Amino acid sequence: MSDKRSVLLKSVSKPGRYSGGEYGQIIKNKKAVNARFAFCFPDTYEIGMSNLGVRILYGALNEQDDIWCERVYAPWDDMEAKMRAENMPLTAHESGDPVGEFDIVAFTLQYELCYTNVLNMLELANIPLLAADRGEDAPIIIGGGPCAYNAEPLADFFDCFSIGEGEENLVEFTRLYIKMKLDHTYTRAGFLHEAAKIGGIYVPSLYEVTYNGDGTVKSYEPKFDDIPRRVTKRIMKDMDKAYFPKKPVMPYIETVHDRIMLEVYRGCIRGCRFCQAGMVYRPVREKTPEVLCDQAKCLFEATGYDEISLSSLSISDYSRLPELCNLLLEWTPESMVSLSLPSLRVDNFSRELMEKVESVRSSSLTFAPEAGTQRLRDVINKNVTEEDLMRTVTTAFEGGKTSVKLYFMQGLPTETEEDLDGIAALAESVIHQFYQTPNRPKRAPQVTISVACFVPKPFTPFQWEAQDDLETLLAKQEYLYQKITDRKIKYNHHDAQVSRVEAALARGDRRMSAALLEAHRLGMRFDAWSEFFSYENWLRAFEGAGLDMAFYANRRFGDDEILPWEIIDCGVTREFFAREREKAYAAKTTKNCREQCSACGANKLGGERSWCPNAKNPL
Amino acid sequence: MSAFDKQKMKPLKDPIPMRLKFRKVGDLQYISHLDLQRVMSRIIVRSGIPAWYTQGFNPHAKMTFALPLSVGTQSICEFIDIKIDREIPTSEILDRLNAQVTEDMKFSAAYVPTTKLAQIAWVSYEINICTDTSDGTLADKVKGLLTTRPLIMKKRSKSGEREVDILDYFKSVTVEQGETLTLRVMLRAGEGSLNPEMIVTALRDRLGLLATAEESYTIMRTGVYFEDGREFE
Repeated sequence: MSDKRSVLLKSVSKPGRYSGGEYGQIIKNKKAVNARFAFCFPDTYEIGMSNLGVRILYGALNEQDDIWCERVYAPWDDMEAKMRAENMPLTAHESGDPVGEFDIVAFTLQYELCYTNVLNMLELANIPLLAADRGEDAPIIIGGGPCAYNAEPLADFFDCFSIGEGEENLVEFTRLYIKMKLDHTYTRAGFLHEAAKIGGIYVPSLYEVTYNGDGTVKSYEPKFDDIPRRVTKRIMKDMDKAYFPKKPVMPYIETVHDRIMLEVYRGCIRGCRFCQAGMVYRPVREKTPEVLCDQAKCLFEATGYDEISLSSLSISDYSRLPELCNLLLEWTPESMVSLSLPSLRVDNFSRELMEKVESVRSSSLTFAPEAGTQRLRDVINKNVTEEDLMRTVTTAFEGGKTSVKLYFMQGLPTETEEDLDGIAALAESVIHQFYQTPNRPKRAPQVTISVACFVPKPFTPFQWEAQDDLETLLAKQEYLYQKITDRKIKYNHHDAQVSRVEAALARGDRRMSAALLEAHRLGMRFDAWSEFFSYENWLRAFEGAGLDMAFYANRRFGDDEILPWEIIDCGVTREFFAREREKAYAAKTTKNCREQCSACGANKLGGERSWCPNAKNPL
Repeated sequence: MSAFDKQKMKPLKDPIPMRLKFRKVGDLQYISHLDLQRVMSRIIVRSGIPAWYTQGFNPHAKMTFALPLSVGTQSICEFIDIKIDREIPTSEILDRLNAQVTEDMKFSAAYVPTTKLAQIAWVSYEINICTDTSDGTLADKVKGLLTTRPLIMKKRSKSGEREVDILDYFKSVTVEQGETLTLRVMLRAGEGSLNPEMIVTALRDRLGLLATAEESYTIMRTGVYFEDGREFE
């Protein structure tokens, strides 16, 4: 009676990734449920367990008595090798049952570089990779998350996608599945056809795509009259009433965000022109401080965490932040809970309050100017000035901090040498400011500049822009490296090859499924991990599929071109993106949602406590 | 029961020590000592027991673990010392803690200690091996290996790798052969103690046991003892 599981777990690194059994995990009687749902995170356990969206959806699905949702993570390569050697399939965390036996298998698509992990996990689960090859008994494969806004590169592998916020539509989707199974009307094709009528469900196989001679998209045609011509994303209209997970699963091993993450609001008022999250999560919908305070107390009781992190795209833009902090500070100190605010801007925040919420443990401050000159910051609509930065770092230095992290992007549209010089200059002026601060700490300052490569993303004003070619990106990195001479400035930059692959996948069309299949055949996985990423293999994969990476990454898409992702309606209109793009070229900024509505279109989706003038209940 | 309850309890003039005994079995065997410390502090907070917090920059509930347990080893006799700064019956401490853990980690005792954790001198393990036991001499072979000095093995420590006679750490060993092979060993505890996993490695390297995926083993820490052999409490 050998225990294969224990043999396996004792032979791999970090077995706690796979052992499960966590406090708070949900166990149901599998014979008593009507649908088994496997929620897959295509990366490691530590990363997956830190994802707030997965926690919410896990809870929302399990609230339904007859649905059992379980978690699945990508095995690390040592575990994968053992599984393959022993012929052990991918299993779900809670029950240990093979994922291939589930009714519905969902993948959250958080970043493009996890796509190969999706294919690898399907293979480990013994599920046919191509949707077209799946028989009646195979699980339904559904994708969601930010990358589902342009899921076309994955269209061949998925039966459907959930677009937007899934709290409601995943439940509706699963209910439909259960209904058709119970009344014996279920067929794979019949179910998908019906599912396509649920708001926010996109079934790629129900649309015929044609292409022009030059490789651009010619048309998307629905194959049936009763499915939508475009799929509009779903949102939760009232965040105070949206499902909230009261009892999260408590990981035994350390995860990336091992603390209470309190989601304060969705959306972003800012409108930075490169930022996909800032566009696709519109409109802004706030929770009220009272609801948030109750939720924080509930999470503290359920978790025992000693830190609350206020989580949102730009926390200092929450209109009632001081009120919320004061409410939380009424009970957190006595309970030994600290409050942290990531990426804080000091604009509308008193010194006194800031001292109370600052985590004493953190000695560094993070700020994201994104570009080196005011002109380029105006181009991208990043409404921060050098003064803002100087004011923020001065406060930080006075508060005893000595380390400042600055985030920038290289290769932004209209970028010149002057803008790159500006990055170095800005870092130097932070050092200068340190020595100008009278009550500065005694230690030497350290400025770390972290420079990413610009990646044009769907559903942004820069969706049409070309990414700099690889040589240009590398030359710019080298140029900046030469510019930085002060040893107090540390310069990090992203891998330009990774960014290029990311750009290609982000703007890909359906034909790219062939390249992903090829990449998978070349054994690729964990592309977001530098030890696994291979640019050469990606070039080979594209070549094998007869595709040119430059067509997707480095081509300026035509003004009138039909974009592959326009089968999805994210609420914000193409006209708005085009207007914003023109303003970018003119280095003109756009006011944020709170100051003035720019008619982006997202208000048609509705939303309580949003900043939209025509939404049902504007602030 | 809530994490907020402790604020309603009557404060004590001085914090008093409290010893907790618990098990770490099943899936919990796969988490490291460092992870256990983090998990334990959250359990204590959730339970609402009035644990005393360290003062200073990073206040946290004061916890002292008896002996670290290595990954892959289970235990039915783990001890941890905390301090309590409000009035609470020990039975309530147990109830509150047990409401916050899974079956893999139940607390079995809470009491004011009269001894020090450092007095633990010996620790016993039961190693159970699922293997082909049709060879009637297997137990004798294993017993022979584990009683014939020296049994030199490479031992890794913070200061690097060195060769030791692992039998130096042994007080006693028994081997039983039935459906499975059961070893009961008593080893020296404390500084520079022997990871029982090393015994498994010795059986693998010297006797060829556990070479296939068809064979498996479990290790259970079964007891801790004072120098004179009495069970620790």
